[in-house]
Amino acid sequence: MDFTLSSDQSALMSALDRLAAPFEQKPTDFHGFALAGPRLEQELENGEYFGIARIPELGALTAAMAVERLAWLPYSVEIALSMLVHPQLGDEWQRPLALVENGRPGRFLATARTALVVDGDHIGLARVAAGEVVPVDSIFAYPMGRFSRTPQVTACSATDAAKLRKWLRIALAAEISGLLHAAIASTVEHLSLRKQFGRQLGTFQALRHRMAECAVLAGGVRWLTLKAAATAEDGDAALAALHAQDSATRIVYDLHQMLGAMGMTLEHPLHLWTYRVKALLSELGGRSGQAQAAARYCFAGA
Amino acid sequence: MDFQWDAAQQEFRTTVRTFLEQHLPADWESLAHGPGSETQSTFSKRFCAQLAQAGLLVPHWPSRWGGRDADAWTAFILAEEMWAVGEPRGGQYMNVNWIGPTLMRFGTDEQQATYIPPMAGGQTIWCQGFSEPEAGSDLASLRTRAERDGAAYRINGQKIWTSYAGHADTCFLLARTAPGKTGMSIFLVPMDTPGITVRQIPSIIGEGDIHEVFFDDVRVPAGALLGAEGQAWEIARNALSLERVGIPRFALAACSLRRAVSALQRAGRLGQGAMEQSARALAACEAARLYSYHIVDQRQHGAPTGPEASAARYATVMAERLAGDFVVEHCPDALAGSDPLLLAHHQRAIVAGIASGAAEIQLNLIASELLRLPREPR
Repeated sequence: MDFTLSSDQSALMSALDRLAAPFEQKPTDFHGFALAGPRLEQELENGEYFGIARIPELGALTAAMAVERLAWLPYSVEIALSMLVHPQLGDEWQRPLALVENGRPGRFLATARTALVVDGDHIGLARVAAGEVVPVDSIFAYPMGRFSRTPQVTACSATDAAKLRKWLRIALAAEISGLLHAAIASTVEHLSLRKQFGRQLGTFQALRHRMAECAVLAGGVRWLTLKAAATAEDGDAALAALHAQDSATRIVYDLHQMLGAMGMTLEHPLHLWTYRVKALLSELGGRSGQAQAAARYCFAGA
Repeated sequence: MDFQWDAAQQEFRTTVRTFLEQHLPADWESLAHGPGSETQSTFSKRFCAQLAQAGLLVPHWPSRWGGRDADAWTAFILAEEMWAVGEPRGGQYMNVNWIGPTLMRFGTDEQQATYIPPMAGGQTIWCQGFSEPEAGSDLASLRTRAERDGAAYRINGQKIWTSYAGHADTCFLLARTAPGKTGMSIFLVPMDTPGITVRQIPSIIGEGDIHEVFFDDVRVPAGALLGAEGQAWEIARNALSLERVGIPRFALAACSLRRAVSALQRAGRLGQGAMEQSARALAACEAARLYSYHIVDQRQHGAPTGPEASAARYATVMAERLAGDFVVEHCPDALAGSDPLLLAHHQRAIVAGIASGAAEIQLNLIASELLRLPREPR
């Protein structure tokens, strides 16, 4: 047990910080829901960052840290599935990936080359061809799309489906962890500047305690995620996804409450994180689904 | 970053578990109820002496004081295993975690020679005399006074909520030697000193756990002062930082949760709602565990403990609450005589956010020091 980053991990995270620096702020003239980041995606591609998990010195744990770090950015780029799930697929399946669950609109489907199609307990893979997808308008801060006709799906074996579901859970938790971190930081900034009754909002204990609880929950999500990525255990993955979706439900509510009407505007960037989180809350069966999976895995020998 | 235990750590955990299997009596779980009771206090002295003989009481202490210079992980693995079975060391966990190390840092040669060997041998029980009727979270308001009287101090005042005081040999006492925050000092006071009266407070948390302690013209020699006059704040902060993550409450919470789930499974009563609720509680326990590991890892690397210790503490409070609530909702018979270990857990869980400093104080620290929110006006 040693939580110190290796020199390779430190170097990678420093490089990611430098790469991310130009993308830290929302463009002031952007007032939409999903902020696309093609230049960010291209830089990640050029730097071969999507293959972090395949490098023995780095592995899935470092990939999870990278997913989390990049989710701090206000831009929506298909990173989590590529970094954490794509390594589990054969070479014939190309990134970007999209997740289409039970016929609902899927994140990044319009730009994906491969779709993971989830139907109940079954998972299949489909190549996404141009013209097969239509974009869907939504208030989620991801670009959403829907198949315009039933895709050709290659079914995964039960074993492969279970493995993919595990890594989907880890990717989900890593992305939520980063999004929560950024949303909390954005809210802290507001509470430190905004004054009411002659004081900064952040000096009121009623708000301070709620924010502190949010921070503790989000930190727990991060630790469970990193452990799951390191161990690749089914139970750890389910616990991480459960704690992520469970905590996020409460945290997102609190953060919007703290920002008041400002958090309802598209001028403030909060929704660029919270409305990505909201899109993730329903995935893979939602928190109820994760809880049942976690209980099955973790209490099997109880 | 590595989440795996190395071979030596795994071996140590196995050693501790084997010791527990061999030395805990068959009726241990019924003793676990009431950690400050006479039965448990007597048991803890016998058990801790056995632990000491096996080199498992204070392995992380310096060899000079009966330890073997083991690292922070060793101390924490030991604590996890002890708490997971209901803490058979009783109140002596405090000696091991923070009283001993605090005396090693701040004590005189005489104080160390007097007090540390009995701790290392598992033969002594201490209590912590901090809280007072008018000074709980606001310790700076304490009123117990220690006045210099020639070569002695004369102590007058009252402590409250003092755990283990009924059977303690010595009190780690906080008293005022001068006005203001800098006028507080620590004294090491034998509990059989004339003028000390202990009154047990009947409570939900078990027989003999909390007490009032009255000091009426209690005379102690000047050598009872720990450190210098006015150094209490520094000493107490140091002690509390050791205490804050010293108790792996999540280990007993997770163990209790597994036990409750197992009982429900056997009875065919683990419905979907209970199943989901148990998983949520387990996730909170594991989050608290990893938070605490982070703090242990900081200690292991000699890094100062920051506000993350408060986050670890609060994560543990959340986990205790969820695990405790699960038992109350789904296994209420455990609190009515069917499972003494689950009852013992419940009694410990309900004070998780109160003992060692109120959880709300931790939230304030997290807000100011971790989130960097502006501080409240005073």
